[in-house]
Amino acid sequence: MTYDVIKEAVAKQQSGDKKLSTENRILGKVMTFYIGDQIYGIEIQNVIEIIEMQPITRIPHVPSFIKGIINVRSKVVPIIDIRTRFGKEEIPYTSRTCTIILTMDDITVGIIVDRVADVEDIHSGDISATPESRAVNTNAFIQYMIRSGEDVKMILDVEKLLGDEV
Amino acid sequence: MARIEPGMEAMLDMYFYETNSLLEQLDEILLRTEQANCFDSEDIKEIFRIMHTIKGSSAMMGFDNLSVLAHKAEDMFFVIRENPDVITDVSFVYDLVFQVSDSYKAQIEAIQNHVDGEYESMDFTDLINKLLKARDVLLGETSADAVAPAAGTPAAAAPAVETDSDKTTVKVFFEDGCQMENLRAFLLINTIKEECSFLEFTPSDVETNPETSKTIIDNGFLITFKPLDNVDFVLKQIENALNVQSYEVVAAATAAPAAELPPEPKAVAPAPVAASSAPVAAPVAAPAAPEVKEQSSVEKAQAAVEKAQAASGMQKQNLISVNLAKLDALHDIVGEIITTESMVISNPDLEGLELESFNKAARQLRKLTSELQDTVMSIRMVPLAGVFQKMNRIVRDMRKKLGKEVDFVIEGEETEVDKSIVDSLQDPLMHLVRNCMDHGIEDDVQDRINAGKPEKGTLKLSAQNASGEVIITVQDDGAGIDPEKILAKARKQGILTKPESEYSEKEIQNLILLPGFSTNEQVTEFSGRGVGMDVVKANVEKCGGTIVVDSKKGSGTAFIIKIPLTLAIIDGMEITCGDLVFTVPIATIKESFKAEASQIIRDTTNNEMIMIRGVCYPILRLHEKFGIETKVTDLEEGILLLVETDNKSMCIFADKLIGEQQVVVKPFPKYLARYNIKGEGLSGCTIMGDGSISLIIDTNTLIG
Repeated sequence: MTYDVIKEAVAKQQSGDKKLSTENRILGKVMTFYIGDQIYGIEIQNVIEIIEMQPITRIPHVPSFIKGIINVRSKVVPIIDIRTRFGKEEIPYTSRTCTIILTMDDITVGIIVDRVADVEDIHSGDISATPESRAVNTNAFIQYMIRSGEDVKMILDVEKLLGDEV
Repeated sequence: MARIEPGMEAMLDMYFYETNSLLEQLDEILLRTEQANCFDSEDIKEIFRIMHTIKGSSAMMGFDNLSVLAHKAEDMFFVIRENPDVITDVSFVYDLVFQVSDSYKAQIEAIQNHVDGEYESMDFTDLINKLLKARDVLLGETSADAVAPAAGTPAAAAPAVETDSDKTTVKVFFEDGCQMENLRAFLLINTIKEECSFLEFTPSDVETNPETSKTIIDNGFLITFKPLDNVDFVLKQIENALNVQSYEVVAAATAAPAAELPPEPKAVAPAPVAASSAPVAAPVAAPAAPEVKEQSSVEKAQAAVEKAQAASGMQKQNLISVNLAKLDALHDIVGEIITTESMVISNPDLEGLELESFNKAARQLRKLTSELQDTVMSIRMVPLAGVFQKMNRIVRDMRKKLGKEVDFVIEGEETEVDKSIVDSLQDPLMHLVRNCMDHGIEDDVQDRINAGKPEKGTLKLSAQNASGEVIITVQDDGAGIDPEKILAKARKQGILTKPESEYSEKEIQNLILLPGFSTNEQVTEFSGRGVGMDVVKANVEKCGGTIVVDSKKGSGTAFIIKIPLTLAIIDGMEITCGDLVFTVPIATIKESFKAEASQIIRDTTNNEMIMIRGVCYPILRLHEKFGIETKVTDLEEGILLLVETDNKSMCIFADKLIGEQQVVVKPFPKYLARYNIKGEGLSGCTIMGDGSISLIIDTNTLIG
């Protein structure tokens, strides 16, 4: 569900089209959050809401990154811990730990993140494709990156995140 | 590929609904009359009318092939109607009309499944030619005995009433919002024109000009006619016509019968949109036209009532059709209200407070919500009659094709179950009925006689309510299942899981429900493709039911399906295990108790069992099964629930009981569908009064 313009921009970037950086249009919005020190982002059209941590009902016989299910206004929503999903070590939940409710093709899930950062515009000039190398284990879930000053924000591919691959 | 005419999409749903109802009605008439082996003139008229309506609406929707087909069928029935005696061999007429009905259904299904307005237009040339031929044959016979013209039609049978040459003018109003008023008016004209020597109507271009609909809605549809023999008869036809809401006689003929009619608008019994209004309204109209029914008016009226009752599967007065999605939404909301109600009433903030008037109000609220819930549930309940009646048709076809004499008995078709369950029951039942007809009933009548059974086989389809469940039985009195054969076949297919000698007769019979099992060496048109019984089983299980086989070699087979009345709300027992709460369906719980050390037995592999009143039951520790950390691991400390399904029992060990609660079953979120949670013994989850989530245990899978 990426905006088509972004796809286009990423493709152009990959093919070395220099025109993009001079144009610098706003292509959409992204919600950013922290896992450890790294900022990640999710395009805003996939985000339903942010809720604080709730008691999670565990479910037997599911992979460890699925923490269980919670009740969001009488809807039962499964919860994924992004840290575990990315193979990072688990840390205790704090008051800043949040659940972001995402949706994609009528599947709804919540993801647990360390803390929510901001909602910001996606400028076409900032977009940068992920490196070809698949050495980094999180790469599989990254759709593209956004550079802003020193920071690099990794925009997640929600489709892959909710996909079957483990 | 053909396209649905633009602008017609909006009407499609109504067209499907109307046409399908008419076709079902047609099937029903055919089945009924075929049994009696004769058409009575009312039935012929009814069939004629159905064909006529279908022709009209199909033409309007632009389905030319359907319209032409109906037209030819109508032509054939026109001949029959004019001279009911022509049919000497009824059966070929039946076969033809059934074929027409089937072709219709197939084409309509094709249109219904259309993508972007495109659909496959079927070719009915063969069938049309057959119809034409049949008509010619019938016509030939007509001219042969033309001396007896129209002897059987009620119009002729009724004593001709002396009518004045005056014409009668009637203003007709159609039901609000029935749409296509102009075509309905045109159909009405077509219906009565046979009975009139003079006919005039305003607006006069109803057939070609859709704009006239508005005029008809505003001013009514004016018909001036001079009847052939009886004003009342025509008026009755107008009154009984589809979608006619009321009519008034503007200028009555001076003849006596018309005077009996009240001059003010006369309301017609509100007929369901598409169902036949004739049988329903007939008893109402009968007194108004006594001359017509003179021969035996009482009997006729009675017959009409019976007919109406026979068709009651489809016909109920004051029906509205509602989109199922809306009902589902309503159902969801009610579920949430019930949950929220518990949240409010047992709110922790209220603890320890003396709240007399609050408690009173809360009690009232609880009463109302439970009524609301019952009502919503009952809305979704539909009788099984619709599905059962369809089996009639299958039995009929197979009876013909296989040449077996079989009586088909239906019992308890008024039993109601949830709509979604009814829908998913149709295929399994169809398969079972076919199986019984094909494999159950003996091929050779001599075998039956030798076994001391009546020549004619019996196939019984019955339904009954039994404590929150509906039991549907398909039973034949055929050859029964031969355990030897089943076992041999199962051995060949390699589906046996334990030594043959350990199988009980019941287990052997139920082997036929396993995938890849089909004992019939010869694959017939109807059954024996190796897929089947396991699909039946899967379908039944999908709607939360179970199926078992009960057969006795030589005296018949019964398939017994047990399905829950509804899937959405169950009575549950809440139990805890560690930090999790589970719900066990109360229907499966036999008892709950604390274990004593002396009752507990361990076998050589350290499997735990418990002895209760001389019976030994296996123990399943919930915390081990689901990998839950709990302090309660001593069997004497926790609680044991004795559960039973399908004659299999075991004890579930949990930490403690919380209590009984009615819970709204929610399926697991879609995202989790890829993990086999259901296969691990959890059927869904539910939101408790305090907002926490409880997991619902599927006792069946847990035991299995």
